[in-house]
Amino acid sequence: MIKITELQKTYRTEEVETIALNKLSFEVKEGEFVSVMGPSGCGKSTLLNILGLLDDPDGGSFLFNGIEVAHFNERKRADLRKRNIGFVFQSFNLIDELTVFENVELPLIYLGVKGPERKQRVEKVLDKMQIMHRRNHYPQQLSGGQQQRVAVARAVVNNPKLILADEPTGNLDSSNGNEVMTLLTDLNEQGTTIIMVTHSEHDSRYSHRIIRMLDGQTVTENILI
Amino acid sequence: MLTNFFTIALRNLLKHKIFSIINIAGLAIGMAAALLIFQYVRFELSYDKFEAHAADIYRIQMDRYNEGKLSTRWAAGTAGIGPVVKDAFPEVTSLARLYDWRGVMSYQDKEFREENMYFANDGFLPMFSSATTQGSITGALSNVNTAVLTTSAARKYFGSENPIGKNLLLNKKEPFTVTAVVPDPPANTHLKFNILLSWPTWVKWVGDPMTTQWGWDGFFAYIQLRPGADPHQLEKKIPAVIQAKWGEEMKKSKEGIVVHLQSLGNIHLSPNYMLEAEANGDGKAVKFLSIIALFIIAIAWINYINLSTARSIERAKEVGIRKTLGSIRRDLIGQFLFESFLINSFAVILALLLILACLPIFNAVAGQSLNLSMLSTASFWSMLIGIFLVGTVLSGLYPAFVLSSFKPIAVLKGRLATTSHGSLLRQTLVIGQFAASVLLMVGTFTVYRQLNYMQHQDLGVQITQTLVLKGPRVMDSTYDNKLTGFRDEVLRVPGVNSISASTEVPGHKVGWNAGGIKEVGADATKARQYRVIGVDYDFATAFGMHFLAGRNFSRDFRSDTGAVLFNESAVKNMGFNKPEDVLNKRIDFWGKQYTIVGVVSNHHQESLRESYDAHIFRLIPDANTYYSLKLTGSRDSWPATITAVKTQYKSFFPGNPFDYFFLDDRFAEQYKADQQFGETFGIFAGLAIFVSCLGLLGLAAFVTNQRTKEIGIRKIAGASVGNILSLLTRDFMRPVLLSFLIAIPLTWYALEKWLDNYAFRISLTPLLFIGPALLILAIALLTVTTQTLKAANTNPARSLRTE
Repeated sequence: MIKITELQKTYRTEEVETIALNKLSFEVKEGEFVSVMGPSGCGKSTLLNILGLLDDPDGGSFLFNGIEVAHFNERKRADLRKRNIGFVFQSFNLIDELTVFENVELPLIYLGVKGPERKQRVEKVLDKMQIMHRRNHYPQQLSGGQQQRVAVARAVVNNPKLILADEPTGNLDSSNGNEVMTLLTDLNEQGTTIIMVTHSEHDSRYSHRIIRMLDGQTVTENILI
Repeated sequence: MLTNFFTIALRNLLKHKIFSIINIAGLAIGMAAALLIFQYVRFELSYDKFEAHAADIYRIQMDRYNEGKLSTRWAAGTAGIGPVVKDAFPEVTSLARLYDWRGVMSYQDKEFREENMYFANDGFLPMFSSATTQGSITGALSNVNTAVLTTSAARKYFGSENPIGKNLLLNKKEPFTVTAVVPDPPANTHLKFNILLSWPTWVKWVGDPMTTQWGWDGFFAYIQLRPGADPHQLEKKIPAVIQAKWGEEMKKSKEGIVVHLQSLGNIHLSPNYMLEAEANGDGKAVKFLSIIALFIIAIAWINYINLSTARSIERAKEVGIRKTLGSIRRDLIGQFLFESFLINSFAVILALLLILACLPIFNAVAGQSLNLSMLSTASFWSMLIGIFLVGTVLSGLYPAFVLSSFKPIAVLKGRLATTSHGSLLRQTLVIGQFAASVLLMVGTFTVYRQLNYMQHQDLGVQITQTLVLKGPRVMDSTYDNKLTGFRDEVLRVPGVNSISASTEVPGHKVGWNAGGIKEVGADATKARQYRVIGVDYDFATAFGMHFLAGRNFSRDFRSDTGAVLFNESAVKNMGFNKPEDVLNKRIDFWGKQYTIVGVVSNHHQESLRESYDAHIFRLIPDANTYYSLKLTGSRDSWPATITAVKTQYKSFFPGNPFDYFFLDDRFAEQYKADQQFGETFGIFAGLAIFVSCLGLLGLAAFVTNQRTKEIGIRKIAGASVGNILSLLTRDFMRPVLLSFLIAIPLTWYALEKWLDNYAFRISLTPLLFIGPALLILAIALLTVTTQTLKAANTNPARSLRTE
């Protein structure tokens, strides 16, 4: 599903040049659950940005479902992103001014799904995430675990092929964290590819494979199953 | 998508109530102020443009020259100029002529003093008013002793009777048959008449040559050009015609005439020339008020830009989320423009309510008569929609671009750096706002200082305690005796100190302009124009005029019937330096000789806008324009005095309405427009400053909140409340102080331009700037301190925990 080859990304300020990705290459097959680990500053977030089509690489190739997307323009990237990729963040990133229902509905609005169908799909996914009873609440009124479930619901409501999770349990206690990891595992079992950036060895054990990074490069790959 | 935009925008507004109120209230005040001012400006600009042929109608404005130097500028020029231009140029399709006439008009027992009455030729009605309510305009003014009335005038004299064919009597002597009734001229015309008298009557009285010669001014001439004709080309061709017609005669006295064609629509906001039909509007005031309107609305827009960009960090997360969910930048720009649209929509509603609530106050202050019917005009709504759309786009675009440019992951991970670029822009905008505020505040102070200066200068004449009666128009050959009898009786009325008759009183331009006056024996080229005031023996004493040389007219000198008084300017006009130099000199005045027996100080005949004119006072003991009564006692006692005087007036001058005014009130009326301008300027300047401070308050609230952590750290490091206060306040005051540096030279320049309107004016001093600047500084300081004080007093442990 994803094949990156010699991917490069360098950040420059007036005085400093930081190589974030240094000819990084790996492949993720459809249906895989991959964890990316490494110390702070090793390039994990940059990788996630590029995989999520939120940023351009400076060099190398990025094939998404066999299509070269490394140099897509903003419109094409946004289009590909909204149809294929869901995001889950450490800090949930729900819009405070929107209710649970409205937050989950948002990706479908951008996809141009009509109102009645949106309602049906949002309710289905809220039900699945067991937060239907909180549909009219605002994010601040929910616990961290509930917020992350809403975030997962939002990530999956458009049935993406790929979910990118950036330390999804980082702000949760272990019980809520396990719950979220179970959700992700369930989604993966239903066929969704998951790439998760994490510092947690515990969480990484839910995945099939761990890619360990250092200084913008892959250092090891551990296959868990 | 729109529903989603609407939902989030509305919830954001509700969540950040203070910011929403500041934005909406600021925008609404800006919009309401701008709309009211623009309505006033639109009214001022609309003068005479409603005429069907307005684009092709021009007034012949005339300048007179002596020895190549401009001497007088006339709205109503010389008698012959209209026919000369009409006859010489085929592109002039018609000519309208008017000559101002006053008198007492009566029908049966109804008698009124008419002051908006003109002799008009038969070209006037077709050019200016095609409709009639009764009768026909065709030939309505072609015959002798016919008159055309406005609807109001017809009602005043004839009630519900049909006036056509009925006779009005002018000064109880001359009958005029009503031939037509036309609608009342609207408020926005410079030519407001009640009655038009037929031109042939005037010709019958004065003779045809008198209406064609070049030395007699006071005749309005309007020409209509063939559509498409170039007025500038025509203007260039006129001098040759004047030269051919009168060149030789004018050469003898080294005089000259230059005419200009004033487009009908431009007359009202042009300078006031001599014998204007009514005082023109003030073009500069219109310009200044338009600038204020723009300032206020721009200040409100700046508030929106500043607060939106300052709050961008709060919105950054949402932008990041939306981007990751597939939103492209264009969608986000659309969303933020929509928010601007929404806020501007709320502001429009509030602005309309403000207009409804404040219209009476605005009318009272600005001396306007705007009413709610303006809400049904296309111009009001197009202006409103214009302000709304420009505001939505202008104030929404920049925040939209800033917000939509955020990198999603960076903002979602809380790594959004506050750019110095954004803060620089905000500071620049604040500088702009306060520069505008300084300009308006100093402007207000200057306008008031100038007004105060004008109202408290020594006029050179005593105008207080003076009751002025309008003289009789219905008279007979016994008038002189009646005047003597009336004078004797009035002097017996308790409370009357003196009575004097004159052709003018202070308070407006002298209407009698006499050209060709020179010292006896002097070369014809020394002839000059003077403004002449006819006075009786007692005028100079009653008005407290100051004699620099010679003496007043005296009944003891029988020869004084051939005497005149000069003022200082007249002395100079005749080419002398010292008042004594002209004493006993003889002058040629239209074929008669007069001796200068005294010289008086210059006095302010008009407001201090105008410079001193060269005045000649001629002895006319039976002048019948004004009788000035100097009263004793207080105002409370005057009604009884007036009643007694009225009884005498009615008994000596039957058939004349008893009309009077107090001279100081009449004189002060000249400042009414300045006063209204000052008050309007002041109120809107205050609003502008208020809206600026609203913005500063919002910005201060936001920035201090943002710096909570920094403040906490500084306090832990030992900073006192005073240290923190000065740190935060300094940052806010810097742009305010910088704005002063920018505003002062601009303000100085603008105010010099405005003060140039006045012949007698204050000079700009640093003090005029320091006061308002300190006031603005204090207001800004107070605004900021309300926020900084709160932040400085916060417990650092709490603020750091919040972070």
